[in-house]
Amino acid sequence: MITFENITKSYNGRPALRGITTRVERGEFVYLTGPSGAGKSTFLRLLYRAELPDSGLIVVNGADLAQLRRRDVAEFRRRLGVVFQDFKLLRRRTVAENVTFVLSLLNFPEREQQRRAYLVLKQMGLQHRMHAFPDELSGGEQQRVAIARALVLQPDLILADEPSGNLDPERSNELLDLLKTINYQGTTVVVATHDRGLIEAHPARTLFLDRGSVVRDAWVTAA
Amino acid sequence: MNRHAWREVKRQLRESGAAGAVAVLLVMVAGAWGGVFWSVHLWVDRELLARGRATTVVAVARGPAQAASLQQALAARFPAVGVTALAPRAVQEELARWFPELATVLLTLDEKNFPPVLQADVPPAEERAVAAWLRARPEATLVESSRAWQARLESTVSRILVAGFALAASLLVGCAVVVLLVVRLLVLAHADEIAIMRLIGAHEGDIRRPYLISGSLLGVAGGVLGAGALEGLRVALQGTIPGLTVATWLLAALPVAGAATAAAGAAMGLASLPREP
Repeated sequence: MITFENITKSYNGRPALRGITTRVERGEFVYLTGPSGAGKSTFLRLLYRAELPDSGLIVVNGADLAQLRRRDVAEFRRRLGVVFQDFKLLRRRTVAENVTFVLSLLNFPEREQQRRAYLVLKQMGLQHRMHAFPDELSGGEQQRVAIARALVLQPDLILADEPSGNLDPERSNELLDLLKTINYQGTTVVVATHDRGLIEAHPARTLFLDRGSVVRDAWVTAA
Repeated sequence: MNRHAWREVKRQLRESGAAGAVAVLLVMVAGAWGGVFWSVHLWVDRELLARGRATTVVAVARGPAQAASLQQALAARFPAVGVTALAPRAVQEELARWFPELATVLLTLDEKNFPPVLQADVPPAEERAVAAWLRARPEATLVESSRAWQARLESTVSRILVAGFALAASLLVGCAVVVLLVVRLLVLAHADEIAIMRLIGAHEGDIRRPYLISGSLLGVAGGVLGAGALEGLRVALQGTIPGLTVATWLLAALPVAGAATAAAGAAMGLASLPREP
């Protein structure tokens, strides 16, 4: 599903990733963890091709990301779902509109947009908040809307960058349960988090990053 | 263009607010102004300069005998030229008609004080040759051609036209700058949406097209209003300047020119939008 081969990336001469080589198989659930500045977010940004590596090869779903043309980048991203710590919801649009935004962009019929939005929001337990605006929701609800938006196109891969960063421990656990459920349904999930407790509570394969290198690749078991 | 893009266009037009209205106004004024100048130019060309029609060359003869010999020689040398001879009495009456306030005085003068005149209607291509030939003849004391004042009028009209079009072009450039700023502000206001659109797989075209279209629509609106104003002016001036017309192609061209100018402004405004790596 994901292949990183000897990936290096630096910003203004400061290395962010140093020669990372790893693989993630289809249907896996993988954590990226490490201290701030370890390179977790850069790893994810390279995966959704917001950045290009200085050297090395990244293959996602069979596509060499460095070879993608601009037009292909958009097609590639439609098969990904990305979730952020700050949710990145459209403040002036309702929950339903945030979810259907991507569908309307792809010219889905109105009725199909509504049907898909309802189903995915029901999965998130938010079907009763469809017409609310993001600012009327709690942090946990906003994050579930962001996940609903990521899921609405039924992606092969979900990337989550510190998705629990703005949530209390209870909501964080609910969120991880949700991501695990999505993973059980066959979607590959990569979660970047520095929350060790969360990883131990929801064990999975974990890549430990430090100063841009993978220092350990292990299955973390429950504490 | 899908439904999403049209919704975006509508929203951007709403959000363009006062700046958008200024852009529309600038295109309207530039269009109407340029259109007025072009229409007046065509009117002057058609009604006053009458290019393509015969030019008049007038020669004052030394006396009736010289006038007759000159008329014969002219007709023989230039068969295509129509020559009319005005006797001193006819010249006297013509002058009295031109200057009615002096008519009484002019008509009491002895007709011998007025010279015979030859009036030649010359095709524009032969005007120089005819005037030069007449000037070289000893029978003629003075030769004047309408071409000279036509040239002076043409030159003046051209200068006014250049100034008028320069002003219209400046207004259009102003419109492009305003649309550029409007689009830049909209892009800044929608930066979060644009980032999200990219993340969820929107093409660059999906992102940029609504801005280009809303910018162009501001230009089209200005052009349509400009065409309306121009047609309104024509109707208002119909009584004062008979024969003043506004070409249909000109009315159709104004919205197109407005759209092109505003689209150029919008495209420049979008240049600030960073592209994918």
